[in-house]
Amino acid sequence: MNDNIWILTFADSIAIATTLMLASLGALFNERSGVLNLGVEGVLLMGTVSSFLATDSSGSIWVGLVVGTLVGGLTAMIHATLSVVFRANQIVAGLALVIFCTGLANFLGKPAEGRIISEKIVPLDFGPLTDIPVIGPIVFEQDIVTYFAIALTIAASWYIFRTRSGLTLRATGDDPATVDAQGLSVATIRFSYTILGGMLIGLGGSWLMLARASAWNREGTTNGIGWIALALVVFAGWRPIRIIFGAVLFGFTLQLPFTLQAERITFIPTAFTQMVPYLATLIALVALSTPKSRQALGAPKALGIPFVRDER
Amino acid sequence: MRFPLRFEARTDSPKYLSAAVPVISIIAALVVGAVFLLATGYAPIETYQEMLKGGFTTFYGITDTLGLSTVLIFTGVAAAFAFQMNLYNIGGEGQLYLGMIGGAWAGLAFGDSLPSAIAIPVVLLMGALFGALWIVVPAIVRSKLGTSEIVTTLLLTYVALNLMNYFIYTSSSFFRDESTTGFPQGRPLPESATIEAFGSTRVYPTFFLAVVVALVLFWIVKRTEYGYRIQVIADSPRAAQYAGISAQRTTLSVMMISGALAGLAGSALIVGPFEKLDISITTMGYGYAGIVVAALARYNFVAIIISAILFAGLRTGGDKLQITSDTPVHIGVILQGAVLLFALGGEIFRRYRLRVVRQQQQAVAS
Repeated sequence: MNDNIWILTFADSIAIATTLMLASLGALFNERSGVLNLGVEGVLLMGTVSSFLATDSSGSIWVGLVVGTLVGGLTAMIHATLSVVFRANQIVAGLALVIFCTGLANFLGKPAEGRIISEKIVPLDFGPLTDIPVIGPIVFEQDIVTYFAIALTIAASWYIFRTRSGLTLRATGDDPATVDAQGLSVATIRFSYTILGGMLIGLGGSWLMLARASAWNREGTTNGIGWIALALVVFAGWRPIRIIFGAVLFGFTLQLPFTLQAERITFIPTAFTQMVPYLATLIALVALSTPKSRQALGAPKALGIPFVRDER
Repeated sequence: MRFPLRFEARTDSPKYLSAAVPVISIIAALVVGAVFLLATGYAPIETYQEMLKGGFTTFYGITDTLGLSTVLIFTGVAAAFAFQMNLYNIGGEGQLYLGMIGGAWAGLAFGDSLPSAIAIPVVLLMGALFGALWIVVPAIVRSKLGTSEIVTTLLLTYVALNLMNYFIYTSSSFFRDESTTGFPQGRPLPESATIEAFGSTRVYPTFFLAVVVALVLFWIVKRTEYGYRIQVIADSPRAAQYAGISAQRTTLSVMMISGALAGLAGSALIVGPFEKLDISITTMGYGYAGIVVAALARYNFVAIIISAILFAGLRTGGDKLQITSDTPVHIGVILQGAVLLFALGGEIFRRYRLRVVRQQQQAVAS
């Protein structure tokens, strides 16, 4: 019985990793184009609250997913406008976005507090495949968004490293002047990828609401997952494939407190097990900051720097 | 085809823009807030009138605002001090919790055996010390390894939040009031370790401490050798290196001081009005609001006092909506975020002017 719970924990880690994967992938697209969006947590919150409201009023999780995704893109447009058009300090702009979105999400979600949506994203049914020991619950008991997130991350890796548009994307983040010299608009590219990133984050937030939370619990709904997603991009060295592994790893730490509680393993207080994801992220960040590992990581060189063509 | 409008670099920034940008930002934010209020079926003008009354124009409105501004000045200067060196301490929220824990611990442990004149400073300083200790790891790894302090300080806020939960909800906790049944409460501090508010208001003497701290920081940054060192490193790390200024040590000390100031925000709340470890602080977001306060004041310590009072007014006004009517509470936080977003966008007009580019010029330019 005890073995089983750990397999289930692992399966749940992959599940909860869905939000992390989508949010990190969104942030990765932003950052690859040279825009640092620290507002991930805020965009995520807007995604969760809007998908709740949309599903609650329409009765369809699909409407919820679409609305959450679009709202994510719309929210990111604020950041895109500030950092690309107005050349604002991207760090402060991202933080301002978090504060604004926290207020707005709480405002919009207030009437919904205490309610639960009846619709839920459920795992796909693979029939007998689910009964395969170990592999069954881990591989065949996920929902469609989780499979989609994994497929999307793999596709993103191919896109970024194997296609011409991907090359342009990377160049925009590393050396925008060259892209500009080629006659392409750095502003348009950065603007588009910031919005695309926001849509992915919004989708991640919608999934979190519709597959896990099912109720609006103010800013506690996301509980800092957006910040972990940001750290995960660094952890993955700005490479999509590594995000999958990182997301499962951090997903495990997020899932751990629930398993320990369910198993009545209480010699460590819950408050402490709930610190683990944040501490693990912190340790990972520090470990990756040694000069050697930093060289191997390869952050986009123009990350967070507004592009201004030399003007006479 | 190119957009017919272009930003052109200014050689000088007119003085009037320093005042115009924040004022226009506030007006624009109010308009955004009005859109959301209208969309959800509330009357914006009435809501704003209520907020103005609750936050700025009545006696208790003004005094409540000044009372609340105390903590915002502390968290504001905490964020601004780090920013003087282009460091982003966005974990002020967590350092504030630790300041409360440290202050409450000192008050509960020593308050009974010390006279007020000693007990209160001890509580305040212990909070500052705990705040500084909470940032020590991000500070060390930032100065030694260059690990971005943005995410590390923020992550520790979630750890601090769980620490607060632990201290308040654990039944055997030192901080817990065991005489109350029902919802767990913090144990109240002995009287000697707390201060009383002025008259029937919610303004505590700590307000003046906050103002003095802001002024002292202003003086340190502008007039002392230490402040000069910070400026040099911020402007040009390489010049600092040639001048033999250790960026590592200064980074460490600046971040620790920033953490201490945020901790002080927490212990100032402990001496009054909280007087115990209280979980409700974790829903207030004073630490995060400090970043907004500092950014709107453009990291100027004197301007922070004004912007803290302004934001405190928005908050008290918003909070009173909750008490007086069925109007939305969170509009105060929305306005905070929106003001900052607009102010950031408005910054560009200080550095650039908007110029209409004629078709001909465009052809030449491209």
